[in-house]
Amino acid sequence: MDGRPTQKPLELILARNLLTSLSTPAFLVDDEATVVFYNEAAAAVLGRSFEESGAMTAEEWTAAFGPLDRDGEPVKVDRLATTEAIRAGRPAHATFTIRAANGTPRTVEASAFPIVASEEGSSGAMILFWPQPSNGGSA
Amino acid sequence: MKLRVWGARGSVPAPGPHMNRYGGNTSCIELELPNGEMLILDAGTGIRTLGVDLNTSPRINILLTHLHLDHIQGLMFFAPCFRADSTITIWGPASPEASLEDRIARYISAPLSPVEVRELPCSVAFRDAPPTEWELGGATIRAEAVTHRGPTLGYRISDGETTIAYIPDHEPGLGTRLGELEPEWISGYDLAKDADLLIHDCQYADDEYDAHVGWGHSKLGDTLTFAHRVGARRLMLFHHDPLHSDEFLDGLAEEARARWEKLGGDPETVSMGAEGDEIAVRPGVQAVHA
Repeated sequence: MDGRPTQKPLELILARNLLTSLSTPAFLVDDEATVVFYNEAAAAVLGRSFEESGAMTAEEWTAAFGPLDRDGEPVKVDRLATTEAIRAGRPAHATFTIRAANGTPRTVEASAFPIVASEEGSSGAMILFWPQPSNGGSA
Repeated sequence: MKLRVWGARGSVPAPGPHMNRYGGNTSCIELELPNGEMLILDAGTGIRTLGVDLNTSPRINILLTHLHLDHIQGLMFFAPCFRADSTITIWGPASPEASLEDRIARYISAPLSPVEVRELPCSVAFRDAPPTEWELGGATIRAEAVTHRGPTLGYRISDGETTIAYIPDHEPGLGTRLGELEPEWISGYDLAKDADLLIHDCQYADDEYDAHVGWGHSKLGDTLTFAHRVGARRLMLFHHDPLHSDEFLDGLAEEARARWEKLGGDPETVSMGAEGDEIAVRPGVQAVHA
């Protein structure tokens, strides 16, 4: 044993299994805000499957999909109120605009909640998108 | 390392004339640590028989995977608990809800028990299994949460030469396809990786599983796939369903060996855990029945 676990915490493994079974677009991020999984419904919103994109750091995610400010520029994940809430161990809900892989902007409502399995803090977060049917965001 | 199986049954004791060869006692395995101390894996009803044979003043560590009754039921009938010269340390999963002692005391207390934990004459300590490796009797122990119902641990025990992984209650295939999943997303992967002996849940035959999805246990196919993915050098099928007779388990073992061979393994490295089995586990090569 090298002392450093290579596998994900059990709660993330179970969360991924759950997300796989959902028809609601959903994402899983780890404790470093890396997107470590999203389901097929989320892939439909983004226009790119997780198998294609693989895990993405917060910076990579922002550059690819946003979220975008009013001028259409990517907003750093660190500056989102949602990120602050998750890092503080609280749930959050927000509406923002993302950009699909084909460049189409989509407005989504997002609910996020931290995944906490020990007193050491969260091991990640689950984020669900509630696409707005009016802008083609339906999954 | 040497080990002895004192109980290989799951869920509930299953005595009877059709269960004699594999045994009816629930999960309990004895390990002899490098320094000669005893390590016990789970305290199902098999631990009662183990305790009867103990005549020396014992210093005992018990690793509990979880607190379902089939893994703790034997504690109250474990003779060393009633000897003042016994020193027993019980390790188990932590919970934010109550201490390990308080949770076990729900069983060893009225009205389920005639004695209370505080009345046990032995010296007993309860410890949450730490999130990092720790040493016991010259062996390195590692515990990690695995997929089951409720807080449940699997254990990896290494003496520097040989490694045993013990995951008796485990459903790693729940909601996923084990054969296609990246290793980092497989529950229990790190615990069992390259183990010289993997002792793993195999409660169900494949055709029984559909009626038990989410119950926290594995079907044979998932057990074999898991063992294959982690590169286990030897596999002991464990936690037999209480409805599975000797004859049924003979058939399941035969099927397991055939399927293991198709996966590229040596069929002789797959065995069905049976009460009374004594095994000397050797590093990197096939283990040998003592």
